[in-house]
Amino acid sequence: MYRFFLSWRFLRSRRTNLIGVFGIFLAVGALILILSIMTGFLEETRRSARGSLSDLIITLPPYSESKRPRDPAPVLEILRADERVEGASAHLGWMCILTRQDERSLRILVDSQSSEIAGVKLTGVDPATEDSAAEFRHSLDKVGRSEEGEIVAPRLRVSKLEDPFAAPPEYNANVGRPRASVIVGEKVMTYHGLRRGSFITLMTAVPDPKSDTGWSAKKREFVVAGCFRSGENEIDLERVYIDRGQLARFLAGVSEDDPLPEDSILYSEVLVKLKDYAADAEDVRATMGARLYKAGLLDETCTIRTWEEFRGALLGAIENERVLMGIMLSLILVVAGFTIFAILSMMVTEKRRDIGILTALGATPRGVLALFLLIGFWDALIGALSGAVVGTWMAIKIDPFERWLSETFGVQIFNREVYLFDSIPSVVTPVAVAAIVLGAFVCTLLFAAVPAWRAASLDPVEALRNE
Amino acid sequence: MSSSANIVLSARGIVKRFRSGDSELEILHGVDLDLRSGERLALMGPSGAGKSTLLHILGLLERPTFGAVDVDGRDAWALSTQERAALRNRHIGFVFQFYHLLPELDAVENVMLPAMIAQSRGDFREDRRAHIAKAMDLLANFGLSHRLKHRPTQLSGGERQRVALARALFLDPPLIIADEPTGNLDRDTGELVLELLFRAQEQRNLSLLLVTHDERLAERCGRVLRLEAGRILGPLPGRG
Ligand SMILES: Nc1ncnc2c1ncn2[C@@H]1O[C@H](COP(=O)(O)OP(=O)(O)OP(=O)(O)O)[C@@H](O)[C@H]1O
Ligand SMILES: [Mg+2]
Repeated sequence: MYRFFLSWRFLRSRRTNLIGVFGIFLAVGALILILSIMTGFLEETRRSARGSLSDLIITLPPYSESKRPRDPAPVLEILRADERVEGASAHLGWMCILTRQDERSLRILVDSQSSEIAGVKLTGVDPATEDSAAEFRHSLDKVGRSEEGEIVAPRLRVSKLEDPFAAPPEYNANVGRPRASVIVGEKVMTYHGLRRGSFITLMTAVPDPKSDTGWSAKKREFVVAGCFRSGENEIDLERVYIDRGQLARFLAGVSEDDPLPEDSILYSEVLVKLKDYAADAEDVRATMGARLYKAGLLDETCTIRTWEEFRGALLGAIENERVLMGIMLSLILVVAGFTIFAILSMMVTEKRRDIGILTALGATPRGVLALFLLIGFWDALIGALSGAVVGTWMAIKIDPFERWLSETFGVQIFNREVYLFDSIPSVVTPVAVAAIVLGAFVCTLLFAAVPAWRAASLDPVEALRNE
Repeated sequence: MSSSANIVLSARGIVKRFRSGDSELEILHGVDLDLRSGERLALMGPSGAGKSTLLHILGLLERPTFGAVDVDGRDAWALSTQERAALRNRHIGFVFQFYHLLPELDAVENVMLPAMIAQSRGDFREDRRAHIAKAMDLLANFGLSHRLKHRPTQLSGGERQRVALARALFLDPPLIIADEPTGNLDRDTGELVLELLFRAQEQRNLSLLLVTHDERLAERCGRVLRLEAGRILGPLPGRG
């Protein structure tokens, strides 16, 4: 019984032990806090990446030589027939340069250092089916709302969610020639100084066998019907939505109200949403690929990819960073363990005589070993548990805490604009907390074992010989 | 008196060598010693003769280079570390010249220390009240009823030695080993501590092995052995 009793007494009677406890407390708390934030970042990034990407993306480049049908209908039909498929929608993507009658456009075009870009990815969608495969209307609906969800900036939003490409109320269709609507990314809106009803000019090139360069230029004016927010910087900065039929007309060079010519380019990719992505993705990819290929709807130029493959580099980088951070921060644990080692070593030297006395009174070397290991154990117990509690609490409350700090001291620690997160993401995983606490225990006990073993192998007589 | 049944401690052919650098230093050259139950034995000799070394060997704190120590009829140095520790705990009570109390514990806790070492946590908790009562009783007997909660640093030398004495007696061991128990005390205080030690020894019929430089003290022991240069010089007649 003396081991418990004396380890507590020794612990309490030496203030220096507090340093060790505090070290473990700090290490465990910081590890939990930072890993929670990194996990939060990872999950938040995954989620925002998800928001704009569908489960499977089939890319079908519209080369003129390909024998594939021009219309996406047969592909969509086969996909939608599969019971594991939730929905499918066709896209037509085309890179354009965006300008408007404004000096700003010139500035953006000539400034090589600017992060504001003139190049946009014009994306033709079918508003009727787009939501079955991607979070299209959700990204429209997020715009112009306050934190509480109230609409505070109605002039950023499309006027009718159910018919997003309807002409905006600010646009008088009777002035000049008719113009099709586009919905621009939130950042495109700001950087180019656009408003709902603004006119923009999009320019691009399309393949043209009749031209001596093989390409011919296209240019057309559009009206801005509103903007969207995907939450992902890259997309909000360069994507512009348009009705797929209108994009096809633009590329074919026929006017907004005319029927499409036979050979127009109608789609370049198909988005597929699955009912159970985790379970079916690989299987659907294989079977659908084979079936579409057999039907002559797919050829070697086409690819079927999961959304994770598009974001693989980013997700991998964050995961990597999280692991690296964990490893580096684990070094704090080692430092804390080293403090315990130093303090206990001092204690053993200081308590040589007491160890001799205990041995004379009948303590075994094993008992003395346990006594000093227990001191390390108490250090770890107090430090790791308090660190886990405070670290977890901080991880849960980091957002209000950071806001409070910002408001009180006027320094912004976390720039919500940069990350496009509305709050600091933080996810506390019990398994990680348990692993960190366990790691603290193992580390402390390993470091405590050295002085404890030294105490156990002390010669009691030597210690008792003199005062 | 000669029956081997009541021999509490017996040492045969104790040789102790210390290695110092390359050479070996032999301190004890084959010591034989028997201690009978209830006997009071004083060990005298010049400084450096090896008295403390012999006491440590007899007290199972230090392994002899050669020779055997029988405690309670068992060859102590042939036992496992655990068994030997238990023997020290139950059969031998130590009193040192420098008291050797634990500074973190108060008087009562110091006295109970042998029981803490002997018992598991559960057992000790069960017997706690009895132990505390016994410790307080012992301390009160030694005139320390007003010092129960004092730490060693708050006690005088004589008081500390009385606490150490109570600790040595706590588990009622049949044998007390004392190395110059009064060596660090003034004459009157030493007398008082000795008085208490002898009284306890008589009341409990303990065997007492005592190292001292004090002739007058030795006179009060039943038997006096002289250790000189690592050898026992034979018994001197004791009076007392
Ligand atoms: N660990 C050791 N290593 C080497 N020599 C030692 C060791 N322990 C004791 N000695 C030597 O053994 C001799 C006997 O020492 P011991 O302490 O037994 O003497 P003592 O008779 O108790 O003397 P005193 O009356 O001064 O206490 C001394 O010369 C001492 O230097
Ligand atoms: Mg000595």
